Amino acid sequence: MLLSRRQRGDKRRALRIYFATDIHGSDVCFRKFLAAAKVYQADALILGGDFAGKALVPVLPQDGELTARVEGQTVTVPAEEWEQLAAGINRAGFYPVRMEAAEAAALQADPAALDRLFRSEITAQLQRWCDLAAERLDPGVRCIITPGNDDPLEADAVLAAHPRVECPEAGLCDLGPVTMASLGVVPYTPWDTERETSEEDLGKQIGQMLDQVPEGRNAILNIHCPPYASGLDDAPELDDTLKPVIRGGRPSIIPVGSHAVREAITRYQPTVGLHGHIHESRAAQKIGRTLCVNPGSDYGSGVLRGAVVDIAEDGTCLDFLLTTG
Amino acid sequence: MASSEAAAGRVDTASTQLFIRQTSGLVRELGIPAAVGISLASVAVVNTFINFNAGLTDFPKADMYLPLVAAAVIWLVAMFAYRYLLRAVPRAGGEYVYLSRVVSPAIGAMAGLGIAVVFTYVLSTNAHFAAQFTPFMLTGLGLAFHSTAIANAGNHFGSNLSIAWLSVILMLIVAALSLFKVKIVARIIFWLIVLQLVAFVSLIAILAFKSHADFVTAYGSFSHHPGAYQATITAAHANGVLFGTSIASAVAIIPFMVLNYNGVLYSYYVGGELRRPGRTYLYASTISILVLVVLWVGVWALLRARAGLTFMQAQANLGVINPTAYAKITSLSSVSGGLGYGLLLSGDPITKILFATAVPFAEIAVNLAFVTVTTRVLFAQAFDRLLPVGVAKVGDRNHAPNVAIGIVLVIGIAFCFLTSLVALGSIVALQSLFFALILLAGGVAALFLPLRRPDLIELPGASEDARKSFLRKAAWVGGATTVLALFTVYELVAHSSVYGKFSWESILTLVIVLGAGPVIYVIARSVRRQRDSLDLSLAMHELPPE
Repeated sequence: MLLSRRQRGDKRRALRIYFATDIHGSDVCFRKFLAAAKVYQADALILGGDFAGKALVPVLPQDGELTARVEGQTVTVPAEEWEQLAAGINRAGFYPVRMEAAEAAALQADPAALDRLFRSEITAQLQRWCDLAAERLDPGVRCIITPGNDDPLEADAVLAAHPRVECPEAGLCDLGPVTMASLGVVPYTPWDTERETSEEDLGKQIGQMLDQVPEGRNAILNIHCPPYASGLDDAPELDDTLKPVIRGGRPSIIPVGSHAVREAITRYQPTVGLHGHIHESRAAQKIGRTLCVNPGSDYGSGVLRGAVVDIAEDGTCLDFLLTTG
Repeated sequence: MASSEAAAGRVDTASTQLFIRQTSGLVRELGIPAAVGISLASVAVVNTFINFNAGLTDFPKADMYLPLVAAAVIWLVAMFAYRYLLRAVPRAGGEYVYLSRVVSPAIGAMAGLGIAVVFTYVLSTNAHFAAQFTPFMLTGLGLAFHSTAIANAGNHFGSNLSIAWLSVILMLIVAALSLFKVKIVARIIFWLIVLQLVAFVSLIAILAFKSHADFVTAYGSFSHHPGAYQATITAAHANGVLFGTSIASAVAIIPFMVLNYNGVLYSYYVGGELRRPGRTYLYASTISILVLVVLWVGVWALLRARAGLTFMQAQANLGVINPTAYAKITSLSSVSGGLGYGLLLSGDPITKILFATAVPFAEIAVNLAFVTVTTRVLFAQAFDRLLPVGVAKVGDRNHAPNVAIGIVLVIGIAFCFLTSLVALGSIVALQSLFFALILLAGGVAALFLPLRRPDLIELPGASEDARKSFLRKAAWVGGATTVLALFTVYELVAHSSVYGKFSWESILTLVIVLGAGPVIYVIARSVRRQRDSLDLSLAMHELPPE
């Protein structure tokens, strides 16, 4: 138990959060995310970034059939089975796009056009997801989606414009008993992704947000990058070609989280830290009084990993559970 | 700014392209060579030379060719079962995750906690095993440095109490090394494995290039008795040691060989990192099994040719049946097996040092790896709230899981004393059975997969008939693995005098180990429900996507 019976006293739950992250374009995972509200009786759903998919699969029509590469193999199905094929492709979070062979060849030669297509697919999917949230969620359930470093900047506008979804990126959000600060920016990575900055700047951004939290009020940090060396940030060490380093017959695992996030948690001691970014480092750790959680991600299997967190009326953390659904 | 690139188009036709967007993180980057490395590193290779000796002690008339091949076949079938499980749950976590998701969380807890307890016990048996090799190590170092004092020092480490203390010292060394940062621990394991492999290759080379006559001479010279070779065989005859070979013994020793291969499929533990997991795992495991079969059959053939089967049977058993008679002939440790033969044949101090220290170094490497695996299993239980979250606490300075390491090592050290000083053998005799049950768990999970969770298997672009056929195959392979695992269990039970006697202590221990997980799960769940905390059953609750 997070708190002993004596510590809990007669504290009652005032807020239940369901947090998931890094679903990378998986429709199945997003649908499960919405279903989590009922299953876990959550008051607020928080999707903590990296919702954009990583790959795009051209589906080529020819003679009444559709051909595409799925899970490393070329698959051909009758044209009427488009929906099943698209679902199969999207099971790994990839975007199925119908196009002619000539268009696919042209995309290969034009990285800028490919980049535009990616952004278009990502924002279109995000729009569909927001609409689905409006359709399926009980009006009393809050739906908060914040971006991560892999999400294009265009996504912010989609989220900001949708009436059913909240996107308090780089700002504060009142959740009732607690205030939540959110930030999707991460320290520089070897992949040079959309939202990266220096550790120094990251620390400054987090500090600016948390300085605005009223004194005496508990806070939750929804920061995409986990704190350094917290057990939430264990990832394979990479060589210069971005391949995992093998030592003693096993991948070498090192901490890759943010020093700035750790320092902010140590200094401000929020109630809870909600993190993602490192899919394979599913863990929960306490840094001082702060419970830090990274539910990990298994989006490629259509499995939604998440965390249920109960918050008391005074903004303290009552309980948590890591889930696999 | 994210950029994009065309990836698969480099190798495929334009009709089957995949465009990848540059994003952070690794997605299934481990290929076949890395997966083979993981599998082979999980098997203690250097123990091969000793395990043959142990096998001959337990089953004097066993020839190892059939058991080595039969055990490989069992692992090959099991490999396919795990392949289907990996297909259904690609980011694997071993039997705990498979059973939790496919059968039930309580059964998963049984596997998870049972594995943690048994692995902790294995830490102590490894330390105990290495401690028993101290006299051999000192003999080898004495020969290398031409020091009688060092060689004779081994005589002081024969008592149970001294072996207990040596085991504890080894555990404390492992504890101290485990507290370094993960990266440093990985490097230590790497270099210890390198030393192990160098010793292994040197031993093969020495056995390959020396003759039977060389061995007879070297044994006689070491024992200060030119006729020591024949004297050992004669004394064994006189003490009733069985010679020759029999099919019944070869069949009976199959479970022993199955246990020797344990670890060869461990690349499924990193299933989430494998590139095209099903295919990579299949190829890597097949290659690893074949490498081990060829290597071990070759080593066995070499040992037979150089030392001779009759001598190996005599030496292994005389040292156990009549240690006094054995000690009158030679001071070579009777448990040293092929390592001892290599020590006799080696002509330079470097290889002598390598052979002398191979076992302690190998066991330290294995124990460091076991500490990592066991703490990970404890982590998984803590994150699922079956154990206190504090168990998974990571140290602020060394970034190591200090609490979990402390728990594992305190219990491990307690086991060390019990193993050496108390008749713990009868209590933990069913350790072999437990490992066979883990194999059985994998088979059962694959068998139940099509029955309980067919939804986990999706074949994009395949017809419903093809999917059903795939599920049928999974059931058949799961069933075959279950049958073979049951055969292994049957042989273990049928030869309980060797593998572990059934006594009330041993059965009670097994029941406690297996029952602890489900009991803790039920208790933790009911306590949490009473406190109005989150229901544990939600941890693995399937979310409906529609």
